[in-house]
Parts: sequence; structure tokens; C-alpha cells
Amino acid sequence: MPSNERRKQILKGLYDGVVAFDEDSVVEFSKAAIGEGVDAYDALMKGLAVGMEKVGELYASREYFVPELLLCADALYAGLDILRPHVKGGGSEESGKKIVLGVVEGDVHDIGKNLVKVMFDAAGWEVYDLGNDVPLDRFVEEQQKTNADVVGISALMTTSMLAMPRVTKMIKTRNPNVAVMLGGAPITREIATSYGADGYADNAGEAVEEAGKMVQMIQKGETAHN
Amino acid sequence: MCAAGQSLLECAQQLGVGLSGICGGHGLCGSCRVQILTGSVSEPTSIEQQELSAHELREGYRLACQTYPASDCQLRVPAESMSTSQRTQVEGLELDISPEPAVSAYHLKLQAPSLSDLHGDAEQVLQSLEREHQVSCDAIDIDVLRNISAQLRSRDWQTQASVREQEVIALGPWPSRQLGMAVDLGTTKIAGYLVDLNNGRTLAAEGTMNPQISYGEDIISRVSRITSSTAEGTQMRKLVVEALDRLAADLCAKADAQTQEIVEAVVVGNTAMHHILLGLPVAQLALAPFVPAVRGALDIKARDVGVHIAPGAYVHFLPNIAGFVGADHVAMILATEVARAEGLSLALDIGTNTEVCLAGDGKMTSVSCASGPAFEGGHIKHGMRAASGAIERFRLVDNDVHYLTIDGAPPVGICGSGIVDVLAQLCLDAVLDETGRMTHNHPRVRTHEEQWEFVIASEEERDGHPAITITQKDVRELQLAKAAIQTGIQVLLEAAGRFQEEIEQVTIAGAFGSYIDVSSAIAIGMLPSLPLSRFRQVGNAAGTGARLALISCSKRAESQAVARDAGYIELATVPNFMQIFTEALNIGQHTHKGG
Repeated sequence: MPSNERRKQILKGLYDGVVAFDEDSVVEFSKAAIGEGVDAYDALMKGLAVGMEKVGELYASREYFVPELLLCADALYAGLDILRPHVKGGGSEESGKKIVLGVVEGDVHDIGKNLVKVMFDAAGWEVYDLGNDVPLDRFVEEQQKTNADVVGISALMTTSMLAMPRVTKMIKTRNPNVAVMLGGAPITREIATSYGADGYADNAGEAVEEAGKMVQMIQKGETAHN
Repeated sequence: MCAAGQSLLECAQQLGVGLSGICGGHGLCGSCRVQILTGSVSEPTSIEQQELSAHELREGYRLACQTYPASDCQLRVPAESMSTSQRTQVEGLELDISPEPAVSAYHLKLQAPSLSDLHGDAEQVLQSLEREHQVSCDAIDIDVLRNISAQLRSRDWQTQASVREQEVIALGPWPSRQLGMAVDLGTTKIAGYLVDLNNGRTLAAEGTMNPQISYGEDIISRVSRITSSTAEGTQMRKLVVEALDRLAADLCAKADAQTQEIVEAVVVGNTAMHHILLGLPVAQLALAPFVPAVRGALDIKARDVGVHIAPGAYVHFLPNIAGFVGADHVAMILATEVARAEGLSLALDIGTNTEVCLAGDGKMTSVSCASGPAFEGGHIKHGMRAASGAIERFRLVDNDVHYLTIDGAPPVGICGSGIVDVLAQLCLDAVLDETGRMTHNHPRVRTHEEQWEFVIASEEERDGHPAITITQKDVRELQLAKAAIQTGIQVLLEAAGRFQEEIEQVTIAGAFGSYIDVSSAIAIGMLPSLPLSRFRQVGNAAGTGARLALISCSKRAESQAVARDAGYIELATVPNFMQIFTEALNIGQHTHKGG
């Protein structure tokens, strides 16, 4: 077991490595964590994940942009690859939360959705990514198959976004307890609410927190509308 | 005046007030800012609270699309929120070809019928054409027939017949001019030209705004409005037809002509404008895989289009290439002769959608890049269209800002060319690093409402009015816009297996492209890093292409060959699109190698 001080140093190293998108440093501290007996789950959640959370904040304020976020993601995944095999139970299932993600049919723009995926991976969610131009039925099927807590749907165009109320209704009809979150450039909170969704995130940096809130609300038996 | 439940923007649209609505009334762009002077209105929405400062809200500033009147209201519309009185560009390349129009004119001298010669008037015309001019026609337009008897009699049996592909489409006095109208129907602007078909000379040119703009400034917003409401599609079609009629009347007034003298028209536009004008289905245009209802060239009777020129005249529509690469692009290729260039040649028309064509080795390929409205001032906090008071040139020297505004008026915002300059200068002066992150220790950089911003004109410099700034978020929007264009060029180069250094000529068409400082566009990486001598800015090349197709049937044939032979790449399907786009987001000279 490492000293408390060394343990803090390793966690801080993981955090800094992710924020500064220093992949080598993340690899080094991840190996140190395993080698020196830091709990892998702690290293993951208190090091890498909080680092990525900080990256999300920087992205939300537009201090970081798409390339930086992707570089941070590279550093994150390098750490996850090392740490995950050492987490009891495989790691990602630990949070117990699952999300289905996809870009709505008729739309092929998936950069935003990919960034959202990174943030959920980092936060320990189990992510089922359906890709882009996803037929509406696929969202319903995948949610039922995986029993996901949240379905996140993205659109970049005001034309493709018109299918969102329909898919939201399809999902909620089949399973009222699943939370539907909408996002993408043309979506606003007002639009998401009018489409019958439970939530909305302005950007990838805010998506995980928003999804967490939605799940809590639904567990309490409330919805975003009342 | 207005029905209950209508937003101020909708009221303004109905009353014909040129209030800007870039995003189509979704509260996204903040371009429809108005000040409420008297009257009561709905409470500010959360969107407005985000978009407007507390100070502005106290002053009565609101977004017209989010505000619903509860009584008669008096509003002030700030200059930057007006969609009218902007610079519209009609200048283009000069035409230098011999005319061979689709419509030819023939002088006819007919015999008055008598009781011993009972030929019908129409048969006389057809026989005379055959006998005197060896022109065999088999049809006469129905509107020509409706007036034929009175016309021939009032002109003492002398007339001028306009013939188009074996059809008599007009009868006029002899001698009279044969006029044609060429139109570049843009999403934002419409340019029209009145041309003498016999000598190819342009008699008048005129620009106007596309009135559909109040339904959303970009194609996608308009298509989504039509998808939601067919009535709005009908209304948009009506608006543009009326605009074309006004344009024809204005052009004729300038040239001392009558609209009835226009015997042929050519319209080029992007695929969506083309489809909306013709009342064709548009929903599929803006959904993957983005397919047009019709690609090929069309000849439609002017009266079926709805425009009032000679009743039997046709409107020729140049062919489209794809859902996002339309007849305007074909016309640009025609006018710039990029396909005929010896070496590798690049032509681009920069706008909300930027179409790029790379030609070389007898092949040409086009892409459409979703560059968005940022370069037209949309989604930029203090962005505006090129109107009076817009900052159009910008330099940063030793931390001092220098700028020029349109008309030399006090600054009210920044237009496209100014925005490119600002980005370039901030990048060259290291106010922005390569990733676009704003340095925090420059004397003109500050935080305002939790956002870093560079001050171009401070509150003091504007006598207490809100400062004009470029925010960190604006920089990100511009990075997306310029990366889209840069990605398009890069994808074309990679597909052709060529390097950017091999490009011998870059032709920049369109209004925005004519006003930008090319060196600034190179500095931010939007345009390839090549010697300035390889660039040419040609103005409205689509309008020039439309005029060429109007006066020359060979050019028309050539346009069909262009549409047939031009390759098209859908950017979203390029496997390494994400990687190229991400690299292109960085600011600075474009050094990435193709091939």
C-alpha cells in the first residue's frame, strides 16, 4: 500500500495528465497506481474521471475546444485501458448507469455525439453507441435490450430535429421510466421540453450532470414537466 | 393588425418589416433584437435571459421571435437587426462570347385575309415563317393565340415572331428588341440582369434581398419551416415570385423597356431555392442522403413559374448537381471556366454553405461545406451583415485597434470581412494561440458575463453603448466555420491525390469572397497558403454564368455537361472526415499536406 501522500500524488498525476492531455503521463501514473497498490477503481473515479469532469467544464466555457477535448479523451482512454482490467467487476458497471446514444435518422453529423460519449465513458457509465442516421425504432429496441436509464439523441440540423418528438414519444410510450435527453446545435431547453424530453444539455461538458439529475428525478417518480 | 398568438417576429414578417431572423425564429441567433418603446408584451424567456444582458432587458431590448405582444406596441428596430438595405452584389465578369440565344426573332409581312383567302391567322404566321425564313414551327403558345388576331390587325399585318425550338412564343411589333433576364437566386440575395439577346449586352443589373429571409436565413431553416407547414412553403414561393416580378420591372425601368419584351429567362440558384420557386418537394433535400427531386435542366413556361414576362416565354433552369450543390454552382463553374484551366484549379463560393470545386486533369469534383452563418455575422455576438456601420476592416498594431466601417459610420457591429480580419490579427498577434484559446493577459482582453472577450470598441469609445467585442465563444464559432471550408478543400485534394502547393489558381466567387482580405483568410487557414498572385476574386460568378446560359445555347449545353461530369463527394461519408476536421479547427496557416 502506498503512503497517503503518494496515493494523492498519483491521483493528482492522473487528474493533471487528463486535463493537460498528456497521454504519457497518464500511462505512467496508471502503471504506478497498479504497481504500488492504489485501488484501481479509486484511480479511475478520483483521478481520471474528475480530470475529465474538469475538461468538461473548460469545454463548456469554450476555453477548450473539440481538438483539446479529443486529446484529453485519448489520455483518458490510455488510462482506462490500464486501470479497467484491475477494477473488480470490470469497472464501468460500477456506476450501474447505462445510456444509449445516437444521432437521429436523416442526420450524419456525429462529432458532438462522439464528444458526449467520451464524457459518459469517463464518468463510468456503460455507453451503447448506435452511431449516426439511426432509425427511430433502433433507439427503442436498444433501450429495451440494454434496459438503459437514459437515451441521448442528437441532431445538428433543424430538419432532422423534427423527428425528435416522435422518437421521444416512442421511447416513453414503451417505457415511461427511461429518461430521454436531447442535444445538438439547434436544440434549446425550450425545444427539448416541447418535444416531451426529460432533459437537455447545451454541450458535452454538461451532459453527464444533466443525465444524472434526470435519472434521480425519474427514480423519485417525477418528470421534468411537473 | 396581427392575430393573437403571433410573435413580434411573425407580426413583422406579415407586415413586411425587414426584420432579420437568421435561425428561423428558434431563439438561437439573437439577430432579431428589438427595443420595446410602448405597449405590453410577454415576459422574457430563459433564452432571452441568456442572450440579452440584464441592462439590455431593463432598456426594453427583446428577441422578437420570443416576444408576444399583449397590446399595440411600438418598437425600435436597430440597424443591425434589419434584413434590408444591405450591400447586394451584382458585379461579375464581363461576357465575351458571340450570342446564340434560344429565342430567335423573325420579321413577318402577312397578307390580310379576304373572303377568297380564308386562312386562319395562326396558319398565316406558320406558313410565312416557313416560306420567308425556312423556319418550320409546329406550335404557337396559347397566350399568343389569344391575342393574335387583334395584334396582326392593329399592326397592319407586320409583326416580329419570337421562335424557340419550333414554337412561336411571342409576337411583337417590328422591329423590337429581344430581351432576356438572368437571375441568380441566392438564399440571401437575388441578382438580376437584363440582357439584349441579339448582341449579348447587359442593359441593366439590379440586386435585391430574398424576401424569404424572414423565414430563416439559411436553407435548412427554410426547409424545416416548409416541412412543418406547407402553407409557409406556398407563402415563401409567392414571396420569391413577387420579388422576381419586381426585379423584372425594376430592370426594365432602368433600360426603358417593358417586361412583356422579355422573351426568355434563366434562373440559377442552390437546389433548395430552385425547388422552392418551382413548388417541388424539399423535405428530402435536407435529410440524409440529401437527394434533389430533380437534377436535370428544366424549361418551364414563365406563367407556370408565376412570373410576368412575355406570356409565352420560358424560364430555363440550369441543372443541379446534388442536394447541396445546385445550379448556382454549375453557373459558377461555367463562368470561371475552372473546368478548362490547364493546371490544378480551385473555385469556391463562400456562404452559409460553401461550395468548392477542384478541377484538373480533365476531371472536376465538388463538395458542399456547412460553413454556417458565422462569416455573415450570424451566431457572432456582435456580428452583423454588411450594412452601414459594420466594421469591415480591422488591424491590431501595438495593442491599438484600427478599423474601417461601411460608410464611415460609427461602429455598430462587425461584418464578415471584418470578422476574418479580427480572427487573423488576433492569431498573428498571439492574442489567440494555435488552438484558438484566448490569452488572458492582453490589455484588451477581459471577462464579461463569465466569458473571455477581446474588446474592439469599448463602452467609453462608444459613448456608453455596449462594447463591441469578439468573445471566446465567437472564436469557436469561427473555427467551426473556417474548418468546414478547409476540410472541404483538404478532402478534394486527398481524393485527387494532389497537394495544395500544386493549385495554380484559386477563384473566389460570391459577395463575401469579394470583400475579404485574402491574406487574412490565408492567415487563419481558411484558404490554402499560396502566393497571393494565384488568387482572383471574381464577384458574382453565378450571375455571370446565368447570363452566359441566357445568351448562348452552347453555354447551356456546356452547363449540362458540367452537371453530368462533375463528381460529388458527400463530406460526412469521408472515412477520415473527423480527423481532417479536427485538425482544421486549429487556427493558423494551412500546412497540412494532401496526397
